Formats: sequence, structure tokens, C-alpha cells
Amino acid sequence: MKTEHISGYFDYNATTPISDEVAKSMISAIGQFANPSSSNNYSQLAKTVVSHARENVAKLLNVKAPNIFFTSGGTEANNWAIKGVLSKHSDQPGHIITSAIEHASVHDPIKYCIQQLGYEVTYLKPDSSGAINVADLKGAIRANTQLISVMYANNETGVIQPISAIAKIAHEHSIPMHVDAVQLVGKQHLDVTALNVDYLSLSAHKFYGPKGIGCLYIKDISSIDPLIHGGGQESAMRSGTENVMAIAGLSKAAEEAQQAIEQWNKEYWSYKQHMIALLNAAPIKVKFNGATNYIDALPNTLNITIEGIRAEALAARMEMLHHTIISIGSACSNNKTKKASHVLTAMGLNEVDIQASIRVSFGRFTSLSAIEMFVQALVAETQVLLSISESGICKSN
Amino acid sequence: MYNQIIIDNFSNPQHTGNLELADYEIEIGNPVCGDRIKIQLLTHDNFIDKAVFKAWGCATSIATANIFCDSVCGQPINSITQRSAEHLAQMLGELEPSQHHCLHILTQLHEKLAALLKAGVV
Ligand SMILES: Cc1ncc(COP(=O)(O)O)c(C=O)c1O
Repeated sequence: MKTEHISGYFDYNATTPISDEVAKSMISAIGQFANPSSSNNYSQLAKTVVSHARENVAKLLNVKAPNIFFTSGGTEANNWAIKGVLSKHSDQPGHIITSAIEHASVHDPIKYCIQQLGYEVTYLKPDSSGAINVADLKGAIRANTQLISVMYANNETGVIQPISAIAKIAHEHSIPMHVDAVQLVGKQHLDVTALNVDYLSLSAHKFYGPKGIGCLYIKDISSIDPLIHGGGQESAMRSGTENVMAIAGLSKAAEEAQQAIEQWNKEYWSYKQHMIALLNAAPIKVKFNGATNYIDALPNTLNITIEGIRAEALAARMEMLHHTIISIGSACSNNKTKKASHVLTAMGLNEVDIQASIRVSFGRFTSLSAIEMFVQALVAETQVLLSISESGICKSN
Repeated sequence: MYNQIIIDNFSNPQHTGNLELADYEIEIGNPVCGDRIKIQLLTHDNFIDKAVFKAWGCATSIATANIFCDSVCGQPINSITQRSAEHLAQMLGELEPSQHHCLHILTQLHEKLAALLKAGVV
């Protein structure tokens, strides 16, 4: 990986570059044309790629390999967990607990279950730290609560949710618990056996693997229905001929993460601290949204409100003039509507602050000098935008 | 994505600024996305000598303000206000759906100028 080409990439939470090792393993798997589910000599090699991948992912999560089921990514894994558990109760649709800050791939299947199948839902709101409250969760449990689905780390703020405490409460009430861990995997050590959740989703492209592959961890397969029926692959839980090349990529990504996670984590955290210090010392007014400490948030993510600017214009200048990519909390979507971050809205930010908010996320190909150049560019472009907008027409309230 | 006209006018706007003694001011706001633009004009004999802007908004709306200022400098006001809708669309180039509100902004700027002309203030 020629890291200088992507030194301006600060959107790792959207997707990550494929590592050289992952690319190599995928290229070598491309020749494995045989169907891993057949029983001829050719298929043995493909079968080995798939079973080896299952081992690698299981090791990364500290679970047993047979509990890993490959999917087309995080979206499918989330859809499967939600619809697969709730379809067990289709004769008596009950109640779901989730948070207000989930990814659309959790919110939308839940909305489908409410609108089409008659389930009810409670959305738990985060406080200004970006985390939901365990006491609120306890209070939301009903006699007919059939599923709790809460994300591990939020994609916009990086804030980590109290999953361990929630899992404990879920078990005390015998409620199945799903965790969307798409943003946490590969950034922080995870022991799913100790966590004791029932279902957990991950996606390879968030930790240097390819797009279109992920998995769902399932503790007990009798507790969930298949989402995709057909030829009986993945223990008849997720049919369809396996995408061997993508699985080989996920396998290598999991192996690399397993080996390097402590080092990545440490490095990200030192960069994040450096970025916070540089921004706090800069001649612009910044506010960090949600917790920024090591315990409560991902070490690679910062969500920042920059007073007086429009994030959309800042992101455009960063891209046009510095080849630097960031993500924003709000954008014009057409003449009549505006898309504002549901996460920042749930955390209580006002509209002007959401319009002035950016997400910065970095990763293993980010260097210290890239962090410094980033802050320099961000400060300079903020000052340009402030100078264009000064003189009283652009109050930030 | 932004077209080249928007990129050029947004990344290096030449008409930002404030006039101490402007002859006229046009101010508009978009209630949906909160974009705000203030244009100040210096005129003589129905001609615009100088136009500057201040803006708070998305990239395309800032570019739109600059495009407007650039297009009116040195022009007779009555010819500016006669520009067709097609002409205005061409000034901004091809826009994505999320940027279409800027054509509305450009139209509003022309309408406000026409209103000044009609009221006999310019
Ligand atoms: C928290 C979270 N969940 C789920 C997904 C969806 O994953 P995928 O892109 O693999 O479908 C994403 C990706 O943006 C995410 O950030």
C-alpha cells in the first residue's frame, strides 16, 4: 500500500483501503473456481479457504468456528439477526428495544417489522456523551420484549455503548441480544464469549478487508430462522454458493487484525490525542461531540463541531484543495429537504451545530505527519470560510 | 460531485468582501438549508461597477454568489434583469439534485435586483 496516496483519507469509518496482504490472499483465491460445497478434488481447496476463514474470524472474536456464518456484509448480518429472531414470534409479535443511534441497517429492518408485521419498538436515546443509559434500558423492558439490538460503537461519534451491562440485563430477562459490532471490530479487542451476546454482526470492509463480505455470530442456531433459503450452504442457515474470494479476504483481514490490533489501537489513540491537542490549540472554536476518552470511544474517531462554518462547504474545500476526505453530519438532499444526522440529533445538538459538524476517522495507513497536515488544512479552510461569511449575516444560532 | 464552474468559483472566489459605502444591498436566505447570501453593489448610471458578497452556505451556494457577482460587474442593470431562465441555468452548469436549490438562489438574486430596478431605486 502506497500510503502517501491516501494520506488525505480521513473516512475510515465509511470504509477502509484493502491491505496488501488481503489483496494477495484474494488474488490467490481467485483461482479456486470450484464450488466449496461439491465433493470433488478441486472443491477441497475452496472448502479449505472457507473453513480456514471461519477459524480466523472465530479467533478474532474468541468464539467457536461453527458459530460464524458468512453474509454479504454488515447490512445483511443486521437484517438477518433482527428478522431471523423476530420471525420466530410471527404468531405473537411483541416488543423490540434498540437505540436511536443505530445504523440504517438496524433501524430499517426494525421499521419493517413494525409496519409490516405488527411489532412495537422502544428507541433508547443517548445522553450528550453519545451513549445510551443502562437504567433506561431496564425501564424499557416489557413482558413481551423479544429482542434487544444495540450497536457496539457508533459510526458517527465512535462512542462505545454499555454492551456488557446490557447483555447481562438481557440474559436476566431471557431476552435475546444482538450487537452490531461493525465499527468496533478491528479497532478494539473483542471477546464475544466473555461478552455473552446472542448475535453479533461484523463487516470486512471496515477493517481492511473487501466490500460485500461479513458475518453474523450466532450463539444458538435454533434461536433464529434463516434469512436466505436455498441450497443449504452455511449449515442451511445462509444459502448461496460461497464468495470464496471475498471470504479469503475477510480471513486475511481477521488474521491481520488479530495480530496487530493492540498496536493499531495504541497508535490510533496517540494520534487521536495529538489531533485533539492540535485542534484545541488552534485559533478556531471546536467542540467535540460525545465522549472522546479512551474507555468510552473508539480511538480512531472524532466528531467535531466547528463554530461558524457549514461542514458541507468545509468538506468540499478539504477535498478540492487538499485531496482530503471527511464525512459530514448534514447535507442538502434536494430543494425541499435536508438530511441531518439522526445520531447528533438524538444527542441533543441543535440544527446549526449539526450543520457545522464533521466526522474524522483514520486508520492503519494514517501517519502522524498526515494528522498534522490534516489539522493545518482544516484550520486554514475554516478561516477562509469564516472570512467569507463574517459581518453579521452568519450568526451561529 | 461538483462541476468545474462550481469548483472554480468556490475554491477561489474573487468577489468576497464588504463595502463600507455600498449603493445597494441584496440579501437572501433559504429557509430549508439555511443558506444566507448578502451582495453589495456599487453602481453608476445604471451600470454595476463592483459587486461583492458574504455567504454562509454549502459549496454550491457560495459559488453561486461568486458567479452572480462576477457576471454583473461592468454590466447594465436592465440587461442583467432580462436574463432568461435558460441563461441562469447555464451560468451554474450541470447540477446534482442536492445542488438545485442554488439555481433558485441565483434566480432570487436576479429577482431582487429586478425589484430594485422596478422600484426605481437603481
Ligand atoms: C454501524 C454500522 N453497521 C452496519 C453497517 C453496514 O455494513 P455493510 O456496509 O457491510 O453493509 C455499517 C457501514 O456503514 C455501519 O457503520
